[in-house]
Amino acid sequence: MSALSSRLKALTRLQCEIFQTSYNPQNLRTGAKYLRKHLRGPAMVKYYPEVVNVAAIAREFPKMGLVDPKEAQRLADVEDRKRRGKGAPKKAKNKEDSRRTAKRR
Amino acid sequence: MNNAMKAMRNARVMRDVKARKGVRDNEIARRAYIYVARNTTLPPQVRHQAQLQLNTFGKYTRPTTVKNRCSETGRGRGIISEFALCRFQFRIRALAGELNGVHKACW
Repeated sequence: MSALSSRLKALTRLQCEIFQTSYNPQNLRTGAKYLRKHLRGPAMVKYYPEVVNVAAIAREFPKMGLVDPKEAQRLADVEDRKRRGKGAPKKAKNKEDSRRTAKRR
Repeated sequence: MNNAMKAMRNARVMRDVKARKGVRDNEIARRAYIYVARNTTLPPQVRHQAQLQLNTFGKYTRPTTVKNRCSETGRGRGIISEFALCRFQFRIRALAGELNGVHKACW
């Protein structure tokens, strides 16, 4: 029996050598499995499809004349609101100004 | 291209994207510390130090913070992860014949 088990051990050792795995007859927790595991990050990053950021491109290359439709719409809306007298109030320059705006509320 | 443009990225999706990038960037270092911390053949002090180092990594470097969300709507529940879509978007796309190999059951 012992002869057989020793032969088996030798076989396992040889197997480990050939396939380049660590020989661990006592089944110790060597943490090898954490090194063996595939990295998950590269696949994780690919989950969402790429989004084209028009605003960032327009900022990077102003000569291209790209217009972000959303931003253009927002600016137009702000302009429209101002024309109707519904724009944001002016920033208070000093303490008095801020007191006056507080009173009005 | 058109679909990608349409896909909106709400705050939760952006947070998830951030987590995914963090995981990718820190994965190797984390793996090394995990290896040391889980290796019972190393002295306990070293393993403990490695575990403490693991705790210093930020929130968005752990794979468990990553959540599969709908790539179309950003919904967090009812996701069919194979298509990265929530159940309703999946249904819409499948009925429109945009998902290869998917068609309505009929028998």
